[in-house]
Amino acid sequence: MVDKNQFLEAMRNRIGSIIDKKGRLYFELADEQLSEVARYLFRTMGCRLSTATAMETYHGLEVLYHFSHDATGQYYCPRVIITDKNAPRVTSITPIVPGAEWIEREMAELWGIRFEGHPGPEKLLTRRHPGRLDRPLRLRRQP
Amino acid sequence: MTKNVIPIGPFHPLLEEAEYFKLTVDGETVTDIEVDIGYMHRGHEFISERKTFTQSIFLVERICGICSTSHPLAFVHAVEDVAQTEVPARAAYIRTLVGELERIHSHLLWLGLAGHFIGYDTLWMWAWKYRESVLDMFEVVSGNRNHYGIMRVGGVSRDVPADVIPGLVAVLDTVEGKMAMLAKAAADDPVLHSRLKGVGVLSRQAAVDACAVGPTARASGVAIDVRKDEPKDAYGWVDFKAIVLPNGDVYDKLVVRVLETFESIKIVRQCLDKLKTEPGPILNDVKEIPAGEGIGRHEAPRGEVFHYVRTDGSNRPIRHKVRAPSYVNIPTCAVSCKGIPLADALITLASVDPCYCCTERAIHVVDRRRRIRAVNLVELSRRKTERLRKEIHG
Repeated sequence: MVDKNQFLEAMRNRIGSIIDKKGRLYFELADEQLSEVARYLFRTMGCRLSTATAMETYHGLEVLYHFSHDATGQYYCPRVIITDKNAPRVTSITPIVPGAEWIEREMAELWGIRFEGHPGPEKLLTRRHPGRLDRPLRLRRQP
Repeated sequence: MTKNVIPIGPFHPLLEEAEYFKLTVDGETVTDIEVDIGYMHRGHEFISERKTFTQSIFLVERICGICSTSHPLAFVHAVEDVAQTEVPARAAYIRTLVGELERIHSHLLWLGLAGHFIGYDTLWMWAWKYRESVLDMFEVVSGNRNHYGIMRVGGVSRDVPADVIPGLVAVLDTVEGKMAMLAKAAADDPVLHSRLKGVGVLSRQAAVDACAVGPTARASGVAIDVRKDEPKDAYGWVDFKAIVLPNGDVYDKLVVRVLETFESIKIVRQCLDKLKTEPGPILNDVKEIPAGEGIGRHEAPRGEVFHYVRTDGSNRPIRHKVRAPSYVNIPTCAVSCKGIPLADALITLASVDPCYCCTERAIHVVDRRRRIRAVNLVELSRRKTERLRKEIHG
């Protein structure tokens, strides 16, 4: 079974700054590395994707995936920071982790992030909304 | 070729939120299923970011009426994960007690509804009758039959006095005896076996791919249970088994829930026993929540409830993410419903344990001659059981 240290060793060149707390590992990475890290977590280590969180920060948008390694109770959370505020985009991990389909559609809809390579990128929550929405619902600023 | 589509929803659906299932059928066989959600999007995450941590507990409690302790418990775990706070032992036992009583009442609720859908109305009435006494136990423990308002960051808000414990144990004995009777009746019934075995199979790989949780995953042989994987509160100190079965059909999902109810009764018994003697406070005074981020989760009756909280040192979160178990379990219906007869679709959709107040809504089927006929899926499912009953018992 791959543990936290082996993961860090294997992904050493792919990930940036790390916050290591009891049972939780948050790490930053570039968008180009996301697919490889997700594949390693999901396929090699057998992690389960709990969900993903998008949020708006001072620097731009941030997408944080939460992978749960159920055998050890450890969480691995890759974080992608998007600095392009006008056309935010991230590589989709749905082709690797099918369970990410809904949450990526939700983030695309509510935060205006484009998930490149998502197999069914339609809206999840406001598909049949009667009114016209002028911006993604969770963004405080106009895009 | 004309596509025949049976709409279920969007209002009065099978699931606890208003949702819309579109079943595409070829004759009697379901060939495709499309799920459309969003009718119940209430913006809880947004509201929570404008409330203090204590106010948010009452907010997240109202996300779901059945899991009304799972969300607050996962949320306080997340905030405690940020602050790295410990919980007093007595409070841990009370939290586990409430969490497990919730599992008993929720599984009894599901058992009753599943019985109703397949034409076992006696099971429905009995299961709900004994669920009532579990709700009465909640009233004694928390003061409320639902929305218990008992969780706090750093402990619980209300103690369980020693003099109410014998009464609670007596109720538990009755419920356990009746559950054993229901379980034996279900296990011995050949009609139930032929009605549910091999129906709506979710393979292990499909459950892993969909990241399914809870009894839906455990009935497909995926051994995940937050209570075992990351034991919080008193789960590390009590003795119980995580129930895992291999087949992934509706029957296994039923058996997982029935056996889990017995395990929950066992845990509640141990907690009540400990609460007779365990001294100490029930709430640690948490003055400040520092800046940081935390993950909290709890094994709700339907699976893992996940909360993520990020804080900036003020008294409210700057980001609060909530993921309920149905969010990952409902997409598994796309796999388990494909290729099954329409009469089995209802129980298969119901087997992920959604919550259904008003399922018996008229459903319009457009047949090949474009006539609209009113068909009732519950009736269709019950007729199939009746047919099997006649075949088996003559």
